[in-house]
Amino acid sequence: MADLRALRVGLRARRRAGICCLLLALAGCAQLVPQTMALRTGWPAGVARQVELASVPFFPQSQYQCGPAALATLLNHAGVKITPEALVDQVYLPARQGSLQAEMLAAPRRYSQVSYLLAPRYDDLLREVAAGNPVLVLQDIGPLMTQWHYAVVAGFDYPAGELHLRSGTRKSEALPFTLFERTWMKSGYWAMVVVPPDRIPATATEARWLAAVMAMERTGDREAATLAYAATLKRWPGNLPASIGLANQYHAAGALKEAEAVLREASARHPGSTVVLNNLAQNLSDQGRQQEALAQIDQALQAQGPFAAEVRETRRLILQRLAAQRPQGAPARPGSK
Amino acid sequence: MRPIMKSLMCRSLIVALMTLSFQTARAGMIGADQVAASVQPDRTAVLSVLSRADTMAQLRAQGIDPAMARERVAAMTDEEVQALAANIETAPAGGVSTAAGVLAVVVVAALVWYFAFRK
Repeated sequence: MADLRALRVGLRARRRAGICCLLLALAGCAQLVPQTMALRTGWPAGVARQVELASVPFFPQSQYQCGPAALATLLNHAGVKITPEALVDQVYLPARQGSLQAEMLAAPRRYSQVSYLLAPRYDDLLREVAAGNPVLVLQDIGPLMTQWHYAVVAGFDYPAGELHLRSGTRKSEALPFTLFERTWMKSGYWAMVVVPPDRIPATATEARWLAAVMAMERTGDREAATLAYAATLKRWPGNLPASIGLANQYHAAGALKEAEAVLREASARHPGSTVVLNNLAQNLSDQGRQQEALAQIDQALQAQGPFAAEVRETRRLILQRLAAQRPQGAPARPGSK
Repeated sequence: MRPIMKSLMCRSLIVALMTLSFQTARAGMIGADQVAASVQPDRTAVLSVLSRADTMAQLRAQGIDPAMARERVAAMTDEEVQALAANIETAPAGGVSTAAGVLAVVVVAALVWYFAFRK
């Protein structure tokens, strides 16, 4: 009897020790994949647990060219018909046998699409995929040495614990959430999306979206920049650089009335802004309405904000045009010097 | 003229030109980027001109033709160019399709065995 009791005590002790070891191991594991662990208790609000973006195309990569293949995937999904071969010239570095992250971000701009770098969070990646935007990620897939690889997340099934990637030569590679995090964390959780100019990513913040739009404006076309600024203003009506950007695009395209409307709206929201006053004055002057322009530019001078030199130059131009309008020999108006 | 001297002179000229050009403001529309610009727009602009030239040269050294290098750098923002100019040699370059680590382990093990155990 005593032996049996001793045996049971022994077994219970061993089981407790086993459980302790398992818990310790799990705690260690939790350290290995912190964001996956966080998802267990904090699944992002409003995001479905199963998403599949079947319309995301697949471009099998050739050797070392996962960059062009992954980028072609995103660009085609955004509406740009392009092959990986055409992108090799723009993102592939022969000497490094791969593609740099900065170039992956820059290339879509040349096709008038906006590339947006996500925050380094699992939540954001899942939210973007759930919103219909495939996400391009940088992984380290080497078991020993570092081996960088680009792939596209096109879906996930949380109950089954897997993400679905377009990766390499596999149209649907299923990776467990844990394993994916291990490969993804090495790049600092680097992830990007490519969107048409009027489609703001689900996780975009005001400042970073504006920066992405202005980056696209460098090499994108005028229409795309106009669309992007208009979308920015629609979402964040108080955004001053977007007002200025939109008005400038209209102005450069010769749509002076539209530019004026945007600037008037901006001046109502940002009274006393030197930039708005200056640009409105310039716009009115270009429409031939010199007296109104002068009134605006004098307000800008009075406001004594930044860009004082630009304001003075604009005022000089308006006065020149006024003087040119005046018939020869007529007396100068008081206070027009 | 030696290449280093030429490069140094080019950089000095660029800096001089940029410094001079910022004395004069112009009439016309002020840009959105100026509104959103950081505190020291002049200095940032000078740095970015140099970084762009640097990055273009580095891309050419990595096997890209000059015209393409210029286009690729033109699509990047000032911040991106400055960051890249600093670490283009070591920045991650995604490219592999499958992990080749297993083969590497085998090769390394074989080499170790060969050198350790040969007479």
